[in-house]
Order: sequence, then C-alpha cells, then structure tokens
Amino acid sequence: MKRHSLIALLLALSAFALLGGCKDAPSGGSNNSAGGKKMTIALLPKSKGNQYFATVEKGARAAATELGADLLYDGPTNTDPAKQNEIVEGWVNYGVTVIAAACENKEGISAALKAAQDKGIKVVTYDSDTTTDARSFFVNQATAEGIGNTLMDEAARLTGEEGDFAIITATLTASNMNEWRKHIEARLKEKYPKMKLVDTKPCDDQKDKAQQEATNLLSAYPNLKCLMAICSPAVPGAAEAVKQAGKAGAVKVLGLGLPSENKAYVKDGVTQSVILWKVEDLGYLTIKAAAAVAAGSLKAGAAEFDAGKIGKMEIQGDNVLLGKPFIFNKENIDGFDF
Amino acid sequence: MGKYFRELSVAAALVLLLVVLAGIAPAFFELQPLLSRLTAQTPALIVAVGMTLVIICRQIDISVGSQFGVCAVVAGLLAAAGLPLSVVLLASMAAGAAMGALNGWLVAGLGLPSIVVTLATMVTWQEALRLFQQGKFINLPAGVQWFGLAQQRGQLTLIATAVVLLTCAAWAMKNLAAGRHVYAVGTDAEAARLAGINPRGITLGVFILLGALAGLAATLNIVQSPQVDPKAGGGLELKAIAAAVVGGVAVNGGRGNLWGVFVGLLLLATINPALTYLHVEAYWEKAIQGLVILLAVVADGIRSRKGGAK
Repeated sequence: MKRHSLIALLLALSAFALLGGCKDAPSGGSNNSAGGKKMTIALLPKSKGNQYFATVEKGARAAATELGADLLYDGPTNTDPAKQNEIVEGWVNYGVTVIAAACENKEGISAALKAAQDKGIKVVTYDSDTTTDARSFFVNQATAEGIGNTLMDEAARLTGEEGDFAIITATLTASNMNEWRKHIEARLKEKYPKMKLVDTKPCDDQKDKAQQEATNLLSAYPNLKCLMAICSPAVPGAAEAVKQAGKAGAVKVLGLGLPSENKAYVKDGVTQSVILWKVEDLGYLTIKAAAAVAAGSLKAGAAEFDAGKIGKMEIQGDNVLLGKPFIFNKENIDGFDF
Repeated sequence: MGKYFRELSVAAALVLLLVVLAGIAPAFFELQPLLSRLTAQTPALIVAVGMTLVIICRQIDISVGSQFGVCAVVAGLLAAAGLPLSVVLLASMAAGAAMGALNGWLVAGLGLPSIVVTLATMVTWQEALRLFQQGKFINLPAGVQWFGLAQQRGQLTLIATAVVLLTCAAWAMKNLAAGRHVYAVGTDAEAARLAGINPRGITLGVFILLGALAGLAATLNIVQSPQVDPKAGGGLELKAIAAAVVGGVAVNGGRGNLWGVFVGLLLLATINPALTYLHVEAYWEKAIQGLVILLAVVADGIRSRKGGAK
C-alpha cells in the first residue's frame, strides 16, 4: 500500500519533468558575410508563452533590427528556474556575445550566469534581477518608489486630493507589494493630508476574491472615494464590484495591471487608470543596453544611457532605469495589446 | 437537542455574529452587497456538498480546487466560442466527472490512499492548467453574465439553484438507499460489504459526484463576471473541507449532516466580511478562521472520547 502511493507520487513528478524537458536548440545566429562578426544577443524571458514577455520580445526585436544584431529568444514554457539554467548553459556553449535575462530565481540562476561571464560573455538582467556579482547592469522597469508615488499621485488626482480610499493587495506578506505600500503611505503622509487610507485587504491574487473584498469595502465604508488595486487580478475584480454596486464613476478605480485585462472597464468608465511600464520599451531598452555593454560603450559608473528613440535613461548605481511608470486610460488604452 | 447539538451550536455562533453586526454595522444587511456575498458563496456550497459525501465515505479530495479551475477554463472557452450555456454546463460537469472518476478509480480500484492520490492530481491539473492557459483571463461574450438576466434576478437564480441542490442532497442522504450506503461504507467498509453493499462502487461514485459538482460550481461561478480567472478555485478545497468539519462532519467518516455543513459554510463565509464591516484589520481573518476550525475539531475529539453518539 505504502509503496503504491510512493509510485503514484513518483509518476506524477516524472510527468512534470517530461513536460518541462523538451528543449529547443538555439535558432538563427548566422555570421555576417561582410567581414566583421555580427553580435548575437540572447534574451531570456521568465516564461515564453506569456503576453507580457511576448511584448518584451517585440520591443527587443525592434532594437536588434536597428542594431543589425542577431537576437535569440528562448525561455521555459512555464516559469521554471531549472529550465532557465539549461537554456543559459546552451547559449554559453553556442557562444553568444551577450545574455539579457529576466530571472525567475535570484540565487538559482547566478551560478550559470557567472559561468557565462567567465567565458567572456557579458550579462545584463531585466525585469527581475539576479545577484549583483552575476551581471553588469540591471535594467529596472520601475523602482518601488516610482510605483508607489505614481499610484498615490494618480489616486489623488482622480479624487481631487480628498476622501477615503482602500487598497487591495495580493497577500499581506508579498514583499514587493509591501514595499510599494510603504511608499504609497509615505507619499500620502507627505503630500495629501485630506486623504485617508481606511483599509487594506488581501485577495490571494484571485479576481473573484478581490471582487468580494471590494463589494464589502464599498458598503462598509460609504464615504469611499477610490479603490486602489496593487496586484493585477484585483484591478478587474475591484472594477466588477464597483459596476455591480452601481457606483461606476462615483468610486474611482485604479491599479497596477495589464491593459488587456482592463480595457472593457476603462472604456465603460468604471476603471479610470491602469498603471504599468511600457513593456515594449523595456524590451527595447534591454537590448540597447546589452549591446552597449558588449561593445564596451556602457561601463560601470555611467550616470546616463542614450537609448535612441525612447530617449536618455537615468542610471542609479548599476540600475538602468526605464523611467516613470506609464498610465493607461480611456484615451490611450486602445493602442496596447498586452 | 442532543442529536443536533453541533449543528445548533454552530448556528448559534452565526446568529450571535449577525446580531453583533446588526448592532454595530447595520450596513452589513444592505441588499446589494448581501446578495453579492451570498451569490459568491454558491460555488463553494455546491462543492462542499460533494466534499461532505466524500468525507462521510471516509475519503478526502484535495484536488477539487484544481478540478474547479480546469472546469472553469473549459466552461469559459466554450462560452467564449459562443456555445449555449446548457452545452457549456454539460461539458464542464463531464470534465469534472472525468477527473473525479480518475481519483475514484485510483482510490477504489487500486486501493491507494486518497490523500496521496488527490495530492498528485491536484498538482497535475493545476500545473497542466498553468501550462495551457499561462494565467491569461478569458473574456466572455455579453449574454453569459447572469445567464443574460438582470443582475439581481441572476443572483437569485444562482442562490435558489444551490439551495435546491442542497435540499435534494440532504433528503437523498437520509432517505435513499444510496445515501445510507455512503454512511455505511464510511463507518465500516467490511461490514458494509458483508451487508451486500459494494464499497468500491460507492467510493467511486462519491468521487465522480464531487467532480461533476465542481463542474457545476465552476459554471455557476463564470456567470458572475465577464472574465474567467484561471486561478479561480485556488484554496477552494480548504474552504469546502473546513465547512464540513465546522459543520460537524466526522473526519474519520460515517457521520455528518449537510445542513450542518451549510451553517458551517455560512459561519466561515461571514467572518471575512464581518471583519471589514467591524473595521478590524485583515491580519486577523485567517487566525480567526483557523480558531473556529480548531474549536470544531476539539469539540469532536471531546465528544468521541466521551463515547458520544454517532
């Protein structure tokens, strides 16, 4: 009996290994016949089939074409740190010029990236960083301070800088969101004395739970002027609750999320603002920075980086900053499909 | 009184909580949010009914949240493709029944422990779904929400459906042979077999029924908003098991009452909004729910030590 259950468990586990185990060989990478060696840039997403990283790739392709470099784009089908290491090792053997990685596991991938550096391959990270000794620059899409301040400023703008508001987060323990909340509260204290944060609710990263929490908040705090959703499923969840309560427009909804998940609510005037960085620009900047590091034109100590068509980007320490988060609203949301 | 002591004490706790709310935060009883809250609990109630039967049969199914997620995506994709809701419902229930049948076959057919089997299927369905859907929402066409009815009428339809189903199941467990066989198998499978009952068939049956109910619940969930979240169903197994335990269903099988589970679910589902209305910080929610479950288990322990009635 015990042995049977062990076998069942092993079978289930080996099924995952098989699912994640098929590996694509790097494609492309022909040498330029006109003499000088063409640069090969390898771009690693956290997972391949995801809208967010598909949009990163779009921006990356544009930059690579502009630079005349080859771009290899590969990643796990599902988020899988072990598969990320395998892909990096494959690229090292293949001999790419530079690797740009979005790291699923900060520590897990650092050994593989350091091994790449030992072979003379340059490494930058984007979206999610590794340990600082395993890469030369991190292309940072938004600092916690930038996100917190933008959310708070936008909530203040929507409510005329006064009234009650509530936050819906993923969990009360998520470290990145707690960091954002800290900056939201600091900004609130510093700049908006007539606004009051009445409650903060977790939604377990689920849309339906966010909808229930928002429904309760709307009736428990009748003076509520604004719901601020700081995890992506909570933005449409809060919007649906406001719509069902018949309070569209009277209670403003804003949050951090994907334009595609919120388009209908934004157009109906239920959700006023969706905040995120321009994901395509993140891909573009990452490739530009990776190429500059490989060419030696971007070195430690630089204070600014010229990223061509998207402008000059500030550098803080070893972080290249994409700049202020971007606000999607009724006027511009149609132009974005991620 | 003695026979229904547990059910009545849970009901008393619920009434006490409602009285406190009526005194301090009467807004709790505003119609629109109240209806929304009750509607949002209908999928959990339906799953809890199926879970109760599985637990009475001395088994457990922790994969039901993953089954619910798969069914929700199946239902969402078919509804998005424009199929009528009756077809969507049948397909979703069939998908759930198939997943339930796999659990049932592994447990009843191969004699594997249900906690291990359903742990494996829980992770398998959950990961397969993540691989397939990559967390992407499914947008539903306009006529799906509330079955195309007005909001309030749609909500009342959902609540009525769940309550009718609960009533039928409670009646069947008491009055039909199949219902009593579930109790018999959960109390003592060998004795049940000697009495001419087929324990394997009953065990397979309760798993299939739970799967089909998860499919029904998933369909009743997707009509509540215009988008399907593939992560819906996460934690649903715990909610259903907790409702059963608080409602007086014995974890080691053979004893339990669906009306008790109903009251247990209502009590647990009232704690979270109550905290919001009483302006208590959300940090307390999980701790209070845990405490309620612990109290229920301790009460069971004391009762069985005293050799109380089954």
